[in-house]
Amino acid sequence: MTPTLPGWLRWSWLPPGAFLLVFLVYPLAVLAVTVTSDSGGGVISTLASPTLWQVTGLAAGQAAASTVVALLVGLPLANVVSRYRFRGRAFAQALVTVPFVLPTVVVALALRSLLGDGVPQGLVLVVMAHAYVNLAVVARIVGAQWAQHSGDYESVARTLGASRWRAFVDVTLPSLRPAIAASAAVVFVFSFTSLGIVLLLGDPTTRTLESQILRQTSVLLDFPGAAATALVQLVIVSTVLLLGAAASRRSATRRSRPPALRPLPSSVSGRAAVRITAVIGALIVLAPVAALVASSLRSSRGWALSWWTSLGSVDAGTTRLSPPSEAITTSLTYAALTALIAAGVGGLAAIASLTSGRSRIIAVLALIPLGVSAATLGLGTLLAFGRPPMDLRATGLLIPLAHALVAVPLVIAVVAPSLRSTDTRMSAVAATLGARPTRAFWTTYGPVLRIVMVAAAALAGAVSLGEFGAATFLGRAAAPTVPVQIVRLLGRPGEQSLGVAAVLAVVLVVMTLLLVMLVDRWATPLRRTTAQENPA
Amino acid sequence: MTPSRLDLQALALGYEGRAFMRGIDLRVDASEIVAILGPSGSGKSTLLSAIAGVVPPLDGRILIDGRDVTRAPIHERDVGLIFQEPLLFPHLDVASNIAYGLRRHGQTRKAALLRATELLEWLGLGGYERRRVDELSGGQAQRVALARALAPRPAVLCLDEPFSALDADLRQRLAVEVSAMLRESGVAAIHVTHDPTEARTVADRVIELSALGEAL
Repeated sequence: MTPTLPGWLRWSWLPPGAFLLVFLVYPLAVLAVTVTSDSGGGVISTLASPTLWQVTGLAAGQAAASTVVALLVGLPLANVVSRYRFRGRAFAQALVTVPFVLPTVVVALALRSLLGDGVPQGLVLVVMAHAYVNLAVVARIVGAQWAQHSGDYESVARTLGASRWRAFVDVTLPSLRPAIAASAAVVFVFSFTSLGIVLLLGDPTTRTLESQILRQTSVLLDFPGAAATALVQLVIVSTVLLLGAAASRRSATRRSRPPALRPLPSSVSGRAAVRITAVIGALIVLAPVAALVASSLRSSRGWALSWWTSLGSVDAGTTRLSPPSEAITTSLTYAALTALIAAGVGGLAAIASLTSGRSRIIAVLALIPLGVSAATLGLGTLLAFGRPPMDLRATGLLIPLAHALVAVPLVIAVVAPSLRSTDTRMSAVAATLGARPTRAFWTTYGPVLRIVMVAAAALAGAVSLGEFGAATFLGRAAAPTVPVQIVRLLGRPGEQSLGVAAVLAVVLVVMTLLLVMLVDRWATPLRRTTAQENPA
Repeated sequence: MTPSRLDLQALALGYEGRAFMRGIDLRVDASEIVAILGPSGSGKSTLLSAIAGVVPPLDGRILIDGRDVTRAPIHERDVGLIFQEPLLFPHLDVASNIAYGLRRHGQTRKAALLRATELLEWLGLGGYERRRVDELSGGQAQRVALARALAPRPAVLCLDEPFSALDADLRQRLAVEVSAMLRESGVAAIHVTHDPTEARTVADRVIELSALGEAL
């Protein structure tokens, strides 16, 4: 640590460390103990049961199919959006991200609204939904690399006699392979651990280990079995992520010049191809959302606002106690709490990562939730804090705590690079001008922190709003979050349930997009000037 | 005999406990400008960092006005520091940057801003008070950095290749200008550079780094 950093910084890892120890390590340890200390043979019988391995196989097949489709649709979009200069490109790039930030439950409902009974529930529909959600993963990761790729290599290949397609296969594709591998690993993991989409759009052939865990805990009350399933999933997910990281590492070292956008192709057919791809991409992204809005406004008697007006009526709800609009309040409360907890914990962890040594361990520890699925986290939290003698469910804090665990790695990912890119000599300058260490720290990092923490908190809030898995495990029956309420409504027959679910989904879309726009606005620390220094 | 403004006694410098230079002795008086010449990588910047307190010396003593500041924290040393880049605080406007050190030394905001305005006039940058720092040219920004460092009237000012990021013409002009300002301010200045012409333009005394102590 340089002498310009304040002494308290050395201890800033303590609060996030304690938080992660209590709410992440302890629940996972309880989960592991549940697996190993089980004498009733639930674990053995689960691991020996053909069901577990059958589900694993089905989920792997489904995830592989989802990955292939996401790549097939995402690669052309990556090409168009990240390489060519055309009017509306920035908008197109933002549009591609939309499906990824939409809550999975909303995506499921939107696809159902769009396709109606045209595509029956099952594998095809689930694969479509996963590909839709993960378009952004492919377009962003592969696009970033594609933008770096100079077209000169293809030109050389063409002069040597390669056809356009040949040059693509021989030259372009190999240079993109690391990025494709990295994005494929992420898409596979998301699809393999999917819950909301599988519950709403699937059939018995599309079960995932995640849905199996839910069934074991809520229907069969087989906690050792659920813990065993969670561990199997953890092993598979970690393996895939490690493979993806290994395959993509080769590219990470070479980050050459800033990407330069090129003009549209000169040939008429080339221009048309780019434009058509962009338009089709926009249609793919927007059609389900438009269908969702439409079904929130349409009943068998025609267009009406009746679903919107029944949002406040107890009869339209599923709790028999409160109207569906209650779920919005519940979700917003949880989102606000999550934003506070995650920003505090993640922000301190990011600050701690400025110092050397063990503080960095916290930042690594905080990444664990990315590899552990929401249901696993939810189950661990439930086993640790949701049963007597320690039942925290009534406090309403379990869901924000679990959501914060999911959001903390994202908060760190947003905050830490901004802090690290700040010129540390700035605090030396402040100190030579008479600023005490703490003052010098805030002079240097305060302006960055003020901006980036808003973005980080908004991101954490958005995560909480759309999260379904953990909320299902930890929620109280009487106070569902919006995604949970949507799934419950869809589980009931009747036109009204579907309509009200669509209304809630539209509300969720709007709230999520507002938060994401906030993130976009604030995430890149702008060099803003305040007229004067705070008179502190 | 009054003590020198800055007095380095048998200073040893190094990284991670391994010394690369020891036995550095140097005295600089008030209003004196000493230029230290040396190729890049020879440890000139480390010397300045040690004087300012950014890195601790491995051995030896640093006295300022006779007071031993070897182990004193940076903000209690009375040493100003100017880097190659101006490093103006991007969230503060020009006047607030200059006022920053005065505020840390207990002046009211009004007094500090008034002094900042005076200093800007002195620099030929009158009217720039409310400017954003990213609107300044390279030479202007470096002048503001100089004003910011001089505003709290430090006993010693360390200048670490302050002109090397500027073009040759501007470098020469600014060197003359800064040298006059430093003399007027009464500060004891150590100016580090690899450019002999610049060293002679700015300084009263030019010393090769290798002549200061024993390189290891």
